[in-house]
Amino acid sequence: MSAPSRVAVQDRAAFLRRPEHRLLRVAALAGLLLLWEALTRVGWIPALFLPSPVGVLRELGEMVASGQLFVHVAASLRRLLLGFAAGAASGVAVGVATGFFSRADAVGQPLIAATFPIPKIALLPLLILWLGIGEPSKVAVIALGVFFPMAINTYAGVRQADPLLVRAAVAFGAGRWSVIRKVILPSALPMIFAGLKLGAGTALLLLVAAEMIAADSGIGFLVLHAGNIMDTTKLMVGIVVLSLLGLLSHWALARCERLAVPWRHT
Amino acid sequence: MATYLGSRRITAAFVAVCAAAALAGAAPAGAQQKVKIGALKLTSSAPLFIGVEKGFFKEFGIEPELVFFQAAAPIATALATGQVDVGATGVTAALYNIVLGGEQMWIVADKGREWPGYPLTGIVVQKELYDGGLRGIADLRSKRIGITTLGSTFHYHLGNVLEKAGLTLADVRVVPLQTMPAAIEALRGKQVDAILLPQPFPGMAESQGFGKILFWAGDLYPWQVATVFYSKKFAADRKRAVDFMKGYVKASRYYYDAVLVQKDGKPAPGPNYDEVVRITAKYTEARAEIIRLGFPFQDRNGRLLVTDIDRQMQWWTKNGFMKRTIPLKGIVDTSFVEEAAKAVPEK
Amino acid sequence: MMAPVEASRGPCWYAVAGLAMRVIVDRLSKTYRDRSGQELAALEDVALTVEPEEFVAVLGPSGCGKSTLLGIMAGLLPATAGEVIFEGDRQDGQPLTATVFQEFALFPWRTVLGNVEFGLEELETPLEERKERVARFIAMTGLEGFEDKFPHQLSGGMRQRVGIARALAVDPAVLLMDEPFSALDAQTRTLMMEELLGIWERARTSIVYVTHNIQEAVYMADRVVVLSRRPGRVLDLVPIELKRPRHEGQMGEPAFVHAAERIWGLIKTQAQAALREGSA
Repeated sequence: MSAPSRVAVQDRAAFLRRPEHRLLRVAALAGLLLLWEALTRVGWIPALFLPSPVGVLRELGEMVASGQLFVHVAASLRRLLLGFAAGAASGVAVGVATGFFSRADAVGQPLIAATFPIPKIALLPLLILWLGIGEPSKVAVIALGVFFPMAINTYAGVRQADPLLVRAAVAFGAGRWSVIRKVILPSALPMIFAGLKLGAGTALLLLVAAEMIAADSGIGFLVLHAGNIMDTTKLMVGIVVLSLLGLLSHWALARCERLAVPWRHT
Repeated sequence: MATYLGSRRITAAFVAVCAAAALAGAAPAGAQQKVKIGALKLTSSAPLFIGVEKGFFKEFGIEPELVFFQAAAPIATALATGQVDVGATGVTAALYNIVLGGEQMWIVADKGREWPGYPLTGIVVQKELYDGGLRGIADLRSKRIGITTLGSTFHYHLGNVLEKAGLTLADVRVVPLQTMPAAIEALRGKQVDAILLPQPFPGMAESQGFGKILFWAGDLYPWQVATVFYSKKFAADRKRAVDFMKGYVKASRYYYDAVLVQKDGKPAPGPNYDEVVRITAKYTEARAEIIRLGFPFQDRNGRLLVTDIDRQMQWWTKNGFMKRTIPLKGIVDTSFVEEAAKAVPEK
Repeated sequence: MMAPVEASRGPCWYAVAGLAMRVIVDRLSKTYRDRSGQELAALEDVALTVEPEEFVAVLGPSGCGKSTLLGIMAGLLPATAGEVIFEGDRQDGQPLTATVFQEFALFPWRTVLGNVEFGLEELETPLEERKERVARFIAMTGLEGFEDKFPHQLSGGMRQRVGIARALAVDPAVLLMDEPFSALDAQTRTLMMEELLGIWERARTSIVYVTHNIQEAVYMADRVVVLSRRPGRVLDLVPIELKRPRHEGQMGEPAFVHAAERIWGLIKTQAQAALREGSA
């Protein structure tokens, strides 16, 4: 039996919404640091094995003031940028060549497929043998590590270039090189940037590995040195600086991508 | 609920096996005390090898277990983490920093000195460079010098001999190669121009033709390069710590009498010389002729050059490897070796 | 050769221009062969002529090869048999065709200005003339103020305007349009059709306009070429007897209705068969 009723609509999807909880995020991080500091002060965590955050900050400050940190960061950045540039440029070139020219693809694909799975760290001793223990071997291993994601991603970006756009370009009179320059490359940019981000992570890893083997400057060397002499506070400083470097490079790449690929981000 | 046939029996058997194992593991009173010793496969570890081979540690109720490493600094770390009970190796900046960092360790006895006339560490250069005229420390300017770890005894020695020749560490390129085998390979492969390594490596480099021993470190700059050191826990067990030291003192005397005695300024092989050579060759896996090149010096009873410990800390601090020195009484404890030396009879 | 400039056409669009050309499609056939050797006949013996300044619609059921026909005319596909001839007066370097695509095919990394400029870049038109032309056609297609916008910032209708401006900017002898308004909503489509007619009245190139929409074809064209199902053959050429300029009111006129019915009669059975077979 029915009776007249009057009911307002209830919000039934409220549990599906995910608020950002900005304050909680910050508080969690701060809380962790405070706990760590407290545990070290009380002595529950031996300072040798895990230096306190305050101690690490203090050491960082001293290293900045003495200019020591600048020397190491500069050395690392120089190697990183050189290797990254070399690897990215060659990777993009090879990716475009194999993506666009069928003969280059036939030659290049098997070579890349065969060499890509080799962990580049494993090549480091070989590179040192060929190029010596100076800068060239370090830049080379970083370049190699960046080359592969760049070549592979650029290839994919080139292959997935919209055939409609290529047809349109040809319809308006574009020849081979025009198509590459004006259609293939721009449309591969998102994939290229994805490759750059991948490459950045690998580059940092290889930089540290290379600097731990026969270097006398750089953040990797700093970490090695501190580890060798059991100065764990300095070791933590090195780790913090490395993570900052990683964050910085990621942010910088994201920025560049927003500028270079504006059509993908609104 | 169905019972698995014989499940009770299986349980009983399991318990019995566990009990037996527990009983077997528990050492009855008066049995050997196990001690793990971190050391390197070097000629300078000969006293330890002798102590193990000749049963000198067993004599005093110690069951020694030699744990080998590839460089000295990791032994200090192993001591701090409890992986080994005793370290018998070079004194490194790592060891000092561990103590500064709050993990107590004690330097207790001599295990080798760079001493004039007694080969321990050699400064080895590429044969070609030597033939080409590289003859002195001053010639090492701008050269690549391979060492094991940063803060190692080789780093210390290199720094001091450079200073004596009017140079500094900044005038050369120090190349840390992390392990001794890596260092000698680097010299062979010409990745570095010179290395500092202890016997038997310099002898091997010369005999294999790619290296030339420029100097023995002790002839240029003598110092207390290697010691025996105890972890805090090991030192706290006084009886065991002293018993170990007794075995070590006996082995040290045997070693000294066999290989370190000199007549007219030249080493004169004593009794048991060949035996010591054989034992050393066995553990270091080097050929006997290379061992015969010479043995490193250490005090007959294992007594330390205590003031040199302080001199080392000063140098490390001055060069930025340590934040500050440690008061000697906070790191050196000679009571063990003194007690042992008095207790062990002379034959 | 100068085109006659009439006052009624407004500003001098064609101060220096080529005439529109005649397009002769002579017994054109196209068979696709895929990698496994399988053959697909798309066009069979298609013959038609597009007169200078004529607006011709090409219509047929799905799969009738109308896009293939356009592709061959644009030089993007080779014919298997027969040929396409362009006849008439032509300026040096003037492209024979320019295409407007159903999915707009704008370059997302170029602004509106950059897109319209594309064909002129490929023609290596001098910078001054390029700038002037681009400005002219942006104005003509109602894109003023949007020069620096990117395609993703524009509505569908605006994007196709850019496509039209880009095609007209190179001053082609024949403008090829491949279902240019299919991707737009019905209201925008109607408005764009009117705009296109207005632009064509001023630009007066020959246009080959592919569509599947009968109303659209009859409304826009001088003649409608009706193609059969695959393989596409010319079923009929239906002249449209409606006065220009066209307007919505004409959609009820007998000429309009008769033409639409005639065309539908031609392709209805074809469309039904295609639906049954699922061979779209």
